[in-house]
Amino acid sequence: MSLIEVKDLKYRYPGTTELALDGVSFTVEKGEFIGIAGENGAGKSSLSQALLGLIPQFYKGAYGGSVTVCGMDARNTPVSELCRHVGLVFQNPFNQLSGAKDTVYDEVGYGLQNLGFPPEEIRTRVESVLRCFGIWEYRDRNPFDLSGGQLQRVAICSVLAMNPDVLILDEPTSQLDPEGSEEVFHTVDELTKMGITIIMIEQKIEKLAGYCDRVLLMHQGQVVDYDTPRKIFSREDLYDLGVNPPAYTRFARANALVFEDGTLPVTHAETLELVKASGADRAALIASLRGMTAGVQMDKQGDGAADAAPHSGTGSNADMSEAGRQPAGAGEEAVAAEVSTSTGGRSASEGAGAAATFQVQDLRFSYVKGREVLHGLNLALDHRPTAIIGQNGAGKTTLVRVLKGLLKPDSGEIRYQGENLETKTVAELASRVGYVFQNPDDQIFKYKVLEEVMFGPLNIGMSPQEAEASAHEALRMVGLDEKADENPYDLELSDRKMVAIASVLAMNTDVIILDEPTIAQSWNGREKIREIIQTQAAQGKLVIAILHDMDFVANSFARVIAMAHGEILADGAPAEVFRNHPVLEKAALAAPPLYELLEELEAM
Amino acid sequence: MKSISLYTNNGSWLTKLHPFSKIFYLVAAIAVPLISGHLPVFLGVILLSILLLKSAGLVHKAFPLLAFSFTIILTVVIIQGIFNQKNMTVLFSLGPIHFYKEGLLYAAHIGLNILNMLLSFAILVLTTSPSELVEELEKKGFSPKFGYIINSVFQIIPQMTGTMNTISDAQRSRGMETEGSLLTRAKAFLPLISPVVMSALTSTRERAIALEVRGFGGSAKKTYLYSHPYSKADQVLKALSILAVVVTIVLRVVHVL
Amino acid sequence: MGKLFKTNFTTPVIVLIPACIGINYLGKLFAAVLKLPLWLDCIGTCIGAILGGPIIGGICGAANNLIYGFTTGDNITLVYALTSFFIGIAVGVMARLGYMKTLPKAMLTACAGGFAAVLVSTPLNIIFWGGTTGNVWGDAVFAATQAAKMPVFLGSLLDEIVVDVPDKIITLAIVYFIIKGLPKKLTALYDASSDIQSLD
Repeated sequence: MSLIEVKDLKYRYPGTTELALDGVSFTVEKGEFIGIAGENGAGKSSLSQALLGLIPQFYKGAYGGSVTVCGMDARNTPVSELCRHVGLVFQNPFNQLSGAKDTVYDEVGYGLQNLGFPPEEIRTRVESVLRCFGIWEYRDRNPFDLSGGQLQRVAICSVLAMNPDVLILDEPTSQLDPEGSEEVFHTVDELTKMGITIIMIEQKIEKLAGYCDRVLLMHQGQVVDYDTPRKIFSREDLYDLGVNPPAYTRFARANALVFEDGTLPVTHAETLELVKASGADRAALIASLRGMTAGVQMDKQGDGAADAAPHSGTGSNADMSEAGRQPAGAGEEAVAAEVSTSTGGRSASEGAGAAATFQVQDLRFSYVKGREVLHGLNLALDHRPTAIIGQNGAGKTTLVRVLKGLLKPDSGEIRYQGENLETKTVAELASRVGYVFQNPDDQIFKYKVLEEVMFGPLNIGMSPQEAEASAHEALRMVGLDEKADENPYDLELSDRKMVAIASVLAMNTDVIILDEPTIAQSWNGREKIREIIQTQAAQGKLVIAILHDMDFVANSFARVIAMAHGEILADGAPAEVFRNHPVLEKAALAAPPLYELLEELEAM
Repeated sequence: MKSISLYTNNGSWLTKLHPFSKIFYLVAAIAVPLISGHLPVFLGVILLSILLLKSAGLVHKAFPLLAFSFTIILTVVIIQGIFNQKNMTVLFSLGPIHFYKEGLLYAAHIGLNILNMLLSFAILVLTTSPSELVEELEKKGFSPKFGYIINSVFQIIPQMTGTMNTISDAQRSRGMETEGSLLTRAKAFLPLISPVVMSALTSTRERAIALEVRGFGGSAKKTYLYSHPYSKADQVLKALSILAVVVTIVLRVVHVL
Repeated sequence: MGKLFKTNFTTPVIVLIPACIGINYLGKLFAAVLKLPLWLDCIGTCIGAILGGPIIGGICGAANNLIYGFTTGDNITLVYALTSFFIGIAVGVMARLGYMKTLPKAMLTACAGGFAAVLVSTPLNIIFWGGTTGNVWGDAVFAATQAAKMPVFLGSLLDEIVVDVPDKIITLAIVYFIIKGLPKKLTALYDASSDIQSLD
């Protein structure tokens, strides 16, 4: 008998009318590594929770079919019994702490305490699992003081200490920075060697492709396909199902690199192998890769900005931006001359006067006196969409919060279109600089999407009619206009993030700052955000985004600023920054998957 | 993470005591003067608590905890000294206002009782880790579910206060004013508290899952990693506390006090 | 009667309690930051009572005060756990009786909560503080009644009413606006009467 058997599983959450799981059937054998892929709302998390009996025992609702795990029926066996056999680790590192233990050591032992294991046994198990995953040295730290990546490892350890037969990882890295994700994937590497059965849900599709024996492809609560990664990711209808194939597969498809069985390569190694075996024209492949990694075309962006930006303004804020720009002109010319060095000659000469937005000089900032977070930054932003990358703690969020006026610098100067912002309050700046926070739940408070989006516009003095029109327009941009009357809390996290973005877009600001907009978004959500960035830029607005998703950075931005330890290490087009190895190393960043392939092909 | 508990492990003898023996002291210190009803007894116990705190080097931490009570005690003294309905004997006068002996004595009882309660409680809270207290209580049969609630509050509140600034920044970024007239400030309350409530409730779901998958809802008897045996000092403190209460009751019954 | 107080001590309900205590804490903090002349320190207790029932509300309230004692070193707060306990019970009972469905009904709940607070607090105020509450407006009322030779109990009662009832009315109005839009997927977790339907 299989380790896991799911038969015609149906489930509906309480208070909803649609099935979250609709006739799901599949089996998993002992020792397999299974991936689950699908867009948001496809039922991936629901399925993983059904394996543990959380659906239906915890959520209630309506249930049909059967789930058998390790010979136990998941509908009726208590979760406290099932959890001895199945472990679950999910997205948010903070919320999966017990919240009751002061040290990492106690945290990891907590489950065993609850199951009534004798203290000596708990001690041995905790020590062995902590040593095995390299967190023994943190054993006396308060879990809440750890970084996200460390916390996720603690979460994995506390589940493994219970010695389960199956481990479910539900997007364990979606809320981590690149370094934290690497830590967690490194842990997953170790796990695969242990031979434990793993089921992993993951948006980082290249990782899924690399690890899995089989991939379960889901769509709208149903299983579309269940096969090897190569078979699954070679499907032509993937985009329709909201799944982006691995970068290697996209590259292979574009260049007709196909295995004999008709499938496409899904990993770096497979692609390289196929390139060598097929004897394809290397120069053509390199050219294709360069095209795929070049990022947004600067020319197009530059023209667009030049056309739309200068003095036409857009809609209702035309008056204000006009007024804001008048005094700016004089100062800009002077600064532009100094700036040109950092951004490369072209953009500076090509209408720099109109393009200049933020001018930052020798910016220093510290939260606690004596511990400087930003060490004298110099920066000139224009209208190119700009991504800021770097590890957590590099100073990215601090920088944008200073730009937004939420934090006051210790010293240095910030000018926006030549105007010193020092004396403005945050609320006064609200109509000019928009800032979408990372967590939408930190701002949503209305029970209608439309009202939530209208809150900002009303605050900055738009009339109710204007605000409503602007809100609808913004909701159309994020693709949620048909949900304008719904309760934001009934939406998925990915949609709530879109509501937050819309609520700032509706304010029609000259600058839009996005903090980690792509977290929790599946492929189509990311496409939507890419579109928004491009339309905003075309309207002459400055889009600044903090991002951990390098693939997205490479494809959506014209300018990348890499930060580490409160300094700017590199500033330029994606293709420059991602090929600057000393900088990447110093910032502890990894280039998007295709860059490595490109360099290897070039070296061949 | 900034802890909201007042406990710090300064290695003093009071921190090494078993939590229960400090609770015995707390109960005795509050009960003895109340049973006796005499002001000197209040003063005596207050002095004892101060000496105990001093021996553990904690006096400077205890006094700030009392500060809030001073204005209230002052209000009590003024209102009772002037208006107490049993007032008969004028003790002194400030211009046209007369302060009476009866009211002031009553106020003294109230004030000293409050100081006494705060000081004896300070001994417990300054030297006892809440999680240790909870663990010891659980071993004595206190429900682990309730134990969880207490421990969790100490972890959750610093985490929630951490989100406070973010929420405030997020709403101000959308043009909401947090300063100005009372109406402006009052209007800001809902946009600030709603996200707190919603995130708190949403995260309870995930936290509950995290607990479920670690056997929290199960029926197995929970085991504990640490033990804290009673020391000699614990025995002595416990015995003295019980003795003090018994002696006071006896003296009271035979009308010596 | 049994149905009114029915309580499920499931994991989500247990986890709800610390969250509500945290909400109480932040409500108080925001009221202070915005310099509002109110306490607003039992929003969480009321939410707990409405979602989990009167017993959970009572526990939220009582645990709230017990734990704050440990964070402020103030054990007189501990005594007022009794007040918070009854606020939770009163609001929970009213909510189960359907008095949170509309704003006017919620205002009746507010009065019930406010008077529960007043009835329990007044004797405590007299025992521990001689009748004062520590609130300027309330204590001015108390001083006036004492000057007018009214009984201590009556004076203290008025003192407490002036302080508590307006605070509870605003609190419940806020709670009403928060509660009415909670998604069902969330509230079902705490609902003592929900069960699993079959789709087979």
